[in-house]
Amino acid sequence: MLFNTPIFFVFFVVFLGIYGLILVQKRPRLYFILVASLVFYGAWNYRFIPLLVGSSVIDYYLALAIGAATTQARKKWLLTASVAMNLGILGLFKYADFALTSVADFLQVFGVEASLPTLSWVLPVGISFYTFQSLSYTIDVYRGDMQPRKGLVHFTTALAFFPQLVAGPILRAREILPQFHSLPVPTWEGARHGFLLVTSGLIKKTAADLLAIPAAVLFDADGPVSLLETWTGVLAFAGQIYGDFAGYTDMAIGLALIVGFKIPPNFRLPYFAISPVDFWRRWHISLSSWLRDYLYISMGGRNQRYRNVMITMLLGGLWHGAAWTFVVWGAFHGVIITATHYLSSLGPFAGFVDSKSRLLTVLKWAITFYLVLVGWVLFRATSINSALDIIANMHTFGGLPASGPVAMKIAIATLVTVALMHLQDWFVITRGEAFENKKWVFWPVLILLQGLCLMIGEPSSEFIYFQF
Amino acid sequence: MSSSTSSSDNMAGSRRIWLRIFLTIVVGMSIAIGAVGLFVSSMGAGSQSLLGRVLQAQDAIPQIAAEESDLVMVFGSSMVEAAFSPREFDRSIADAGGDVKSFNFGFGGLNPLFQDYVARRIAENLKASDRRLELVLIEFNPFQTTKTRRSRAVALEEAYIALLASPAELWQILLDDPERGLRMLEIRYLRDGISAEASTTFFWAEPFRAPRGALDSAIQEEEGVEEKLNEVLEQLGPKFEEEYPDYDGSDWYYPWQGGGTIKAERAEDTLALFDQYYALTQTDYQMTIDRLSRIETADIEELDFDPELLEAFVRVVENFKQVADHVEIIMLPKNTDWIKNSPAALARQAEAIQRMEDATGVPVRNFQQIDAITIDMFGDTTHLNRYYGAAAFTAFLANEYAALLQ
Repeated sequence: MLFNTPIFFVFFVVFLGIYGLILVQKRPRLYFILVASLVFYGAWNYRFIPLLVGSSVIDYYLALAIGAATTQARKKWLLTASVAMNLGILGLFKYADFALTSVADFLQVFGVEASLPTLSWVLPVGISFYTFQSLSYTIDVYRGDMQPRKGLVHFTTALAFFPQLVAGPILRAREILPQFHSLPVPTWEGARHGFLLVTSGLIKKTAADLLAIPAAVLFDADGPVSLLETWTGVLAFAGQIYGDFAGYTDMAIGLALIVGFKIPPNFRLPYFAISPVDFWRRWHISLSSWLRDYLYISMGGRNQRYRNVMITMLLGGLWHGAAWTFVVWGAFHGVIITATHYLSSLGPFAGFVDSKSRLLTVLKWAITFYLVLVGWVLFRATSINSALDIIANMHTFGGLPASGPVAMKIAIATLVTVALMHLQDWFVITRGEAFENKKWVFWPVLILLQGLCLMIGEPSSEFIYFQF
Repeated sequence: MSSSTSSSDNMAGSRRIWLRIFLTIVVGMSIAIGAVGLFVSSMGAGSQSLLGRVLQAQDAIPQIAAEESDLVMVFGSSMVEAAFSPREFDRSIADAGGDVKSFNFGFGGLNPLFQDYVARRIAENLKASDRRLELVLIEFNPFQTTKTRRSRAVALEEAYIALLASPAELWQILLDDPERGLRMLEIRYLRDGISAEASTTFFWAEPFRAPRGALDSAIQEEEGVEEKLNEVLEQLGPKFEEEYPDYDGSDWYYPWQGGGTIKAERAEDTLALFDQYYALTQTDYQMTIDRLSRIETADIEELDFDPELLEAFVRVVENFKQVADHVEIIMLPKNTDWIKNSPAALARQAEAIQRMEDATGVPVRNFQQIDAITIDMFGDTTHLNRYYGAAAFTAFLANEYAALLQ
């Protein structure tokens, strides 16, 4: 049930209709959000509802037990149980086959033919998001960053809340759980901003679907691709993944706001970043901050910084998918972040890194964007060899575009689309509130943009981040 | 007291806000959908522009069922649309002592998946009128059943099925897959067949589409051909209006029984213009880019068949078996000067034919290479031209089936 489909529209209208009827009754409203969220989740695959509910029930009671534990050892044991359960579920569903085939491949290097059985299980949608979200609760309680809160239904509803269930943002319990205890009612200002975000997200998602076409020309090509089409394809994928994921997140935040709940932003103009470190402060903020708080800092943070950054980014890469390309992508980002830290510790480079000069800022932006694009090749390519070929093609002139004279038009359209996506977000962030107050412009523009999105479609409209 | 009043005021306020939000969503989306519908129809897009010929032919079935003569239908792709002339066929059969009314049910752009729905509607309507076809000739078109051909139609698959399915079939799709079903109901009832994918194709995709034959940049058209072709076309338009003042613009025109114009109705100078037209559209350049386009969009030479399309074709035959006394599967003439299948492709084709014959119990009659058709009777690399090709092939069919229809 994608946010940009008629069935979700019907679902949301029915949800909102009933929600309004029970607006003044807190407990029924809470139960209703839970039931609606489970219906929403069940529309993907109802067989995984017990997994979602079961893991939330276990984490809820583990958090209570951690809070009540009198010894550090017992707390640690209970936390270990929570970590083992969540990562165990994730490992079993997402990484078991990858691990088994990797072991078999590794043994083959030494001439040992091992035919290990694989599970071939279907990956429950949103599992990477809700396991991390649930885990953050028990870790926060263990660390004393928050007290466990009574209310199993509140916790389960917060975890299953449909706008953020299948593709995040990865919310912290301390951000969302109190809202499910107080159950805010919708406000007009919040809803109006929600409409703006939903529309903004829909536009990005629509643009992402269109960018999938030039991206596929490169990444799904059977033969060699020209220099122009290679760069167009890489740029298109950068736009596609941003539009797809940031678009979905905007819609999630907007829908939650319409219902009355506040979810923090997950993206802040990532392609405006001027260093790899800056990029990760702007891209998938809820994941990068999760990894920072629960992995990087747990390993010692700045003590052994380079090692910790590398491990964090490697695991961050693996979080995105069970394939070596994701691991290499994570490693690549680990290397460029480490290099940034290292260079900024050297005298001459520190001046460059800290410089506020416009020219140097543009140069830093260009270098960062180039590195991010190279990273996306590793992320999207079907194999490491294919990624290396594409990266080599990015730097080699050869061959004429297969699509002939339209190749340049496609390249320009791709560039303009990616730029417009960011300009749109810049506008929403900096001018959104003022725009919302101009009601005679705001509503017609919103309806016009919604209409525009209704007129643009592309065959593959799955959200990329659902696979994670 | 004041706290209770304030609480009830808050509740009333919250309800008002909720109602405002709810109405904003419903009214806003209705306006957006309405605006899209208005824009799309004002640009001439809609179910008629997408599938006008098919829908008009379907609408004509009750009238066809009411015909007194024996009914003959030739069903298939645009190759049938170009190659079969019903009125000439009827005359030939009449000359041989039969009395039939034949209809051209050839539709461009429909692979067997969509043809299956059309065949179901035909069968339903004929059953409802308690009428049977004396003969139906169903074209098996190899390049319409390839994986490549299907992949090119994926974007419009839902729009086509939404328009061709019956309400009961749409309801079943809704029950089986609510997401898909609702999307298709929206396409059919709120968007007049123009899905988001279809409108992208109509309005946005054209500037980014590579020209046909762009892959082979070595090919160049002779100088002056395009200008001459435009001149001929400019003269042909008024000729048509003079010679067919009653034509109402339908894609499937009942007085012509779904076929096209015929040679006997055209003036000598019009036919001379057509001779020029055929010559100008069959230059090496035109034929080469047409061939390249067919290879790119339909895998016409290698023929990697899509098993689901072959199964759908079997269903097409089964639908017609319910309402026709004689069902034949035929393969239409092939332009062997331009389309050359590899031995592996021919082996795949033979296997596909065998599979269909086994599944339907109906032998496939292969008319791909017949003496009645010569290469100069083609209009391009696949279709016969109207005044030579269609006339000759129709005469050939009349000769083949005259004994059956007497």
